[in-house]
Amino acid sequence: MTLELNRLTRDVDQMGRAMTSRREELAGRAAEAGSVLASQPQVTKELLQKIETARRIDEWRRGAVPLGNRLDERRRADFAVPRAVLIAADGSQIFPDRSAVTLYYLLNIGAIVFREGSGAAPACISQPTLYYRDEELYDADGQLRTEEYVGALRNRLELATLADLAVAEREAMGGDLSTPIVVLIDGPLLPWIRSGTDNEQDARAEIDFFITQMQRLRAVQAIPIGYIDRPRSAYVLRILELIDMPLEEITRDKLRFGPFVGLTDGQLFESLRPGERTGLFVPNSRANERYEARSATEDMPGDRITFCYANMARQGRNEEAELARLEMPGWVAGRPDLIDVAQSVIAANCEPGPFPYVLARAHELALVTEDERAALDDLVSQIMWRNGLTPQLSTKAWTKQLTRRPRRS
Amino acid sequence: MEENGNAIEVGRVLRSSTAAFTVGAQQLIADQDALTPRLGALIKTAGVRNNIFGLICNVTIEDDAFVRQLVAAGVDNPVMIEDQRQRRQVPVVIEVLAVGYADETAIYHRLPPQPPRTLDMIYTCNNAELRRFSERHDWLRIVLAAPAGPVDQILVAALRAAAAARPSIDEQEQYLIGAGRELARLLALDLSRLDGILRQLR
Repeated sequence: MTLELNRLTRDVDQMGRAMTSRREELAGRAAEAGSVLASQPQVTKELLQKIETARRIDEWRRGAVPLGNRLDERRRADFAVPRAVLIAADGSQIFPDRSAVTLYYLLNIGAIVFREGSGAAPACISQPTLYYRDEELYDADGQLRTEEYVGALRNRLELATLADLAVAEREAMGGDLSTPIVVLIDGPLLPWIRSGTDNEQDARAEIDFFITQMQRLRAVQAIPIGYIDRPRSAYVLRILELIDMPLEEITRDKLRFGPFVGLTDGQLFESLRPGERTGLFVPNSRANERYEARSATEDMPGDRITFCYANMARQGRNEEAELARLEMPGWVAGRPDLIDVAQSVIAANCEPGPFPYVLARAHELALVTEDERAALDDLVSQIMWRNGLTPQLSTKAWTKQLTRRPRRS
Repeated sequence: MEENGNAIEVGRVLRSSTAAFTVGAQQLIADQDALTPRLGALIKTAGVRNNIFGLICNVTIEDDAFVRQLVAAGVDNPVMIEDQRQRRQVPVVIEVLAVGYADETAIYHRLPPQPPRTLDMIYTCNNAELRRFSERHDWLRIVLAAPAGPVDQILVAALRAAAAARPSIDEQEQYLIGAGRELARLLALDLSRLDGILRQLR
């Protein structure tokens, strides 16, 4: 064993005590936040003005704009939807590795089409793609593609797969719209774009691709939902911090060191009952602004990603709230009936625990394990030998292989 | 099973030896006419130069942490259950005992000269093939000498299937009487075992 645990016992002990005291401290402040929410839940013009000002003063502050009249709105949706289609996709990758036998990277997209009410086994897809050509491996400056690039490519493939499957499913129904199609992504809906990215063109291309896929989904009336399990976000807390802050006193420092820093919205909404969700909020982010701007047309204003929190625990089964953040495009957010359907269908799919079955399966279908990666490397080596090439691990990779297995003592 | 019915695909060979092989199947088939794989059923595969015959002696369906959680949570969603059965808990693993092989001229109740190859397809035998294979009783000795497992149960299932492949009640009875006599000869020194097998054959 390399890690000498005996050297860590004192630190781990101290960590445990620190966690306890921090928990108590956070619980106290969470109660304060709860009191603010309970006493001043109205969304006033002044509050909206403060939110706008805060956003202007500190662009990177993770706030949100409430869409309803109250911050403590609740709506219940846990009815049975006898027939529905749930589609989920996930991806995994092997990043390009300079030390490997040769340069390549791989993406594997797993997806599942779960036809609730059919009684039939779902359709499962696992689609690997190998990237090895120069134009795939290197960017315009001749630099090897980064993990960030591969991650973005993976997101695009996931999204395109979901749109393809939703379109095919609706076509298989002969265009009949009576069966809802809910499309699930594990994580936020909007693609992640590195803050301060210096390549605006790339960022725009990313958003445009996202808009195209959203339009495809909208055309077949599929409901896209980004599912964030146990969210750590604090969008609503950032709003609460502004309630007692006079407009003219809003400064960058006050915004960054507000009274509820360190808390999460989950603590604020843990009283949601199973099947209940909060009101809707539009998160402030550069990506959302880009999405709004790029999706606007001459006839239609731009769309914005919107979210709510929902308790996905099952009535009578889970005593503690199991909060998820559900993200959706604005055209879904404007239809509470669609959100009701999506929330009910997703909640019914949360088995065996409060997490969607389809997302767990999509992850399983996508996952490339270490053993599979080793098998692929072996296959690549064999093909190289067959073609008169000598596969050669770097000395560094070779040495790591030697030391990978546990030592005897 | 139909007289000359089409062979049903059971699965493909995962690993093999001359004495036994393991087959992977996508699922259990339980149609009105077919119960596949079935304990004691005679199956065949096309070896490199010979057809190899075997008896299904065990069928295993694996579990994992995910399916255990679903069971513990009392999940009864039929789509999830079918997903686990048809998409996840695969392959269904079938253990086969090699009991003979055939060339163009005859069937031999001996171990095949070579085992089947990985991914060779395994098929069920129809009644005509089953009758032809079980005309003589020499294969019983191979089953009785099998190293492990519920050998007697496999033998009883195989003999019942072989009898059922005969068209008339008389022929079925005659077949079982002949097989019983052969067993009596082979198990002359183990009467309690013989008694157990014969009781199950009645």
